[in-house]
Amino acid sequence: MKRMCRTAIWFLIWIGAAALLAGCQRTEGEGEKKSIRIGVSLYRGDDTFINNIRGELENCAKEYEQENGVKVTLDIQDAKGSQNTQNNQVERFISLGCDVMCINPVDRTAASAMIDKAMAAEIPVVFFNRQPVEEDMDRWDQIYYVGAVARESAVLQGSIVVEQYQKDPKSLDLNGDGVVSYVLLEGESSHQDSLIRTEWSIRTLKDGGVPIEKITGGIANWERSQASALMEQWLEQYPDTIELVVCNNDDMALGAIDALDRAQVQGINLVGIDATTPGLEAVRAGKLLGTVSSDKEQYAGAIFSIAAAKALGQAAPGELSLEEGKYYWSPQKIVVQP
Amino acid sequence: MMTRKEKMLWILYGIVLLLLFLLSSTDLIIKEKKTQIYKISVIIEDASDENYVNFRKGMDRAAIELHADVSFITLYDKGSGEQQRELMLREQQDGCKVLIVSPANGEQIFGLQEDKRINVPLVLLNSETVPGGDGIVETIGFDYEEMGRELGKQILREQTVNKQVHLFREQDPDEVSIRFGDGILSELEQAGCAVVMHESSGKDKLRHAAGQIAVKEGEHAVIIVLDPAGLTETAQAISEAGDDWQIGGLYGRGNTVRLLNYLDRGVIQGLCITDDFSAGYLSVKMAVELAENRIAEDTQKLESRYIRREDLRNVEYEKMLFPIE
Repeated sequence: MKRMCRTAIWFLIWIGAAALLAGCQRTEGEGEKKSIRIGVSLYRGDDTFINNIRGELENCAKEYEQENGVKVTLDIQDAKGSQNTQNNQVERFISLGCDVMCINPVDRTAASAMIDKAMAAEIPVVFFNRQPVEEDMDRWDQIYYVGAVARESAVLQGSIVVEQYQKDPKSLDLNGDGVVSYVLLEGESSHQDSLIRTEWSIRTLKDGGVPIEKITGGIANWERSQASALMEQWLEQYPDTIELVVCNNDDMALGAIDALDRAQVQGINLVGIDATTPGLEAVRAGKLLGTVSSDKEQYAGAIFSIAAAKALGQAAPGELSLEEGKYYWSPQKIVVQP
Repeated sequence: MMTRKEKMLWILYGIVLLLLFLLSSTDLIIKEKKTQIYKISVIIEDASDENYVNFRKGMDRAAIELHADVSFITLYDKGSGEQQRELMLREQQDGCKVLIVSPANGEQIFGLQEDKRINVPLVLLNSETVPGGDGIVETIGFDYEEMGRELGKQILREQTVNKQVHLFREQDPDEVSIRFGDGILSELEQAGCAVVMHESSGKDKLRHAAGQIAVKEGEHAVIIVLDPAGLTETAQAISEAGDDWQIGGLYGRGNTVRLLNYLDRGVIQGLCITDDFSAGYLSVKMAVELAENRIAEDTQKLESRYIRREDLRNVEYEKMLFPIE
């Protein structure tokens, strides 16, 4: 009996040692990883800013492959504005064996379910553009967020108008009544950025000494077509009254420009945020007074470098100087007509 | 005390419960069908997927429906046959079951097949030639020569005879542009229409050349650009120039949103479009069939269409250009 017990103990020790060795071997293997797989889910692929970020992410992946010799597979999926679809995409990323997920949440308040799945599968997540609520961000130390500070974007947008007013008040006060009458095109009401951008942009105008008066405003959900329809309606309702259009993003500013072109109205100033490719074209063409650029290369670069490091089981890159160890804020600048 | 009959009933009840458990919770009796996921890699000839947006939508749809794990790979440099060759070998080494390739350089790919360095089945996109050797190769794509002929016919129908046709192509055009150009030329030259050929290379060269033509010939000039990127650049230049550049017509091929916007705005007069969603879906379907060792159709030719501004709201073309996944 005693002998049997001894044999059993030795057997268990051998099993334990073998398991330990296997574990060590696996760690070694992970260190030499030659390929990584990143799942990217976009809240809407037709959003110009998001599409720009997607393009930059692909460029980052190619550069990384060439520089480091590590194969990068990017699985990019469009959630088409449906949280349900995005949840399914997260499940698919997990079943396909992605090493890390980069998620641009459809509903920033509904990130919890995706975090649950990621935590269960032990797959780090880099959220971007739409910031999950703090409680969700604090749930795990493998959750990161990359974005731009909404307040800074708004202040910069406001300062474009302030500078223009200081330079040439008549270019904004078209009818010379001493007041700049403006309309406001806002993004989704559920998005934290649209509320902050609206509040701080207008506050900057007031603080900068621009005499403003709001005619009306509307929610165009970041979309060019919706903004175009609203602007068309306002041009009919308030003819020869609108002097400035403040837009929460470039896509909506471009929609307003479409409506102005159709109505053949000239002289109205517009400002946007994001510096998308068509937005920058509009600035160059003199159709948009200015926009705020959050350096997309740096933005996408931050998402990618965190994701790549996490996929390889490394710590997030030190040069990014993450706030609280998980937030990266992309720098922004003003782009105006030359 | 239980009777013998009661005991039997209890035992029977237990057996039924056990059977039900085995039926519902294990695969000992009812074998669960194992879903085989096939790894498929798509390698295009371009460095960007700008012209493959609808193709990717079709590809993703097929991937979900047919349980395929599809990787979409672009080259580091547009049109590099060498890079495409390396990527094909890499993907094969990484366990890909079928390769879908839009050849940047047909000969290099065929060389790989003939040397037996590529052993997985190939689905070639928009390739007319099929390599020799034992490897399995299927093709799917559009008849670009026919597309070119159709464009030529439409130009002859829409433009008056005294117009000068200018045809722009890249300095090192891809196979598709060559076939498209051949189709246009065959139709125009057959009708006795003289065509001035231009080769464009480098950024702004096309814009500059188109500007010179617009200023010199104005309404008498008809411009055809063979590649979608060049057509976009030309349309943008004409659009920005406004009334300063008035030409008789701008034509080409492509499905991108930017090109469709230029068509809608009247900058482009006519556009040849393709059903890229179907191409993406069917190529993955073909690849899955090959991965399962089923016999796929050898060649699938898909149709292309010629559209004008007024056709953009046509339901048939809307479905083709803006597919709902």
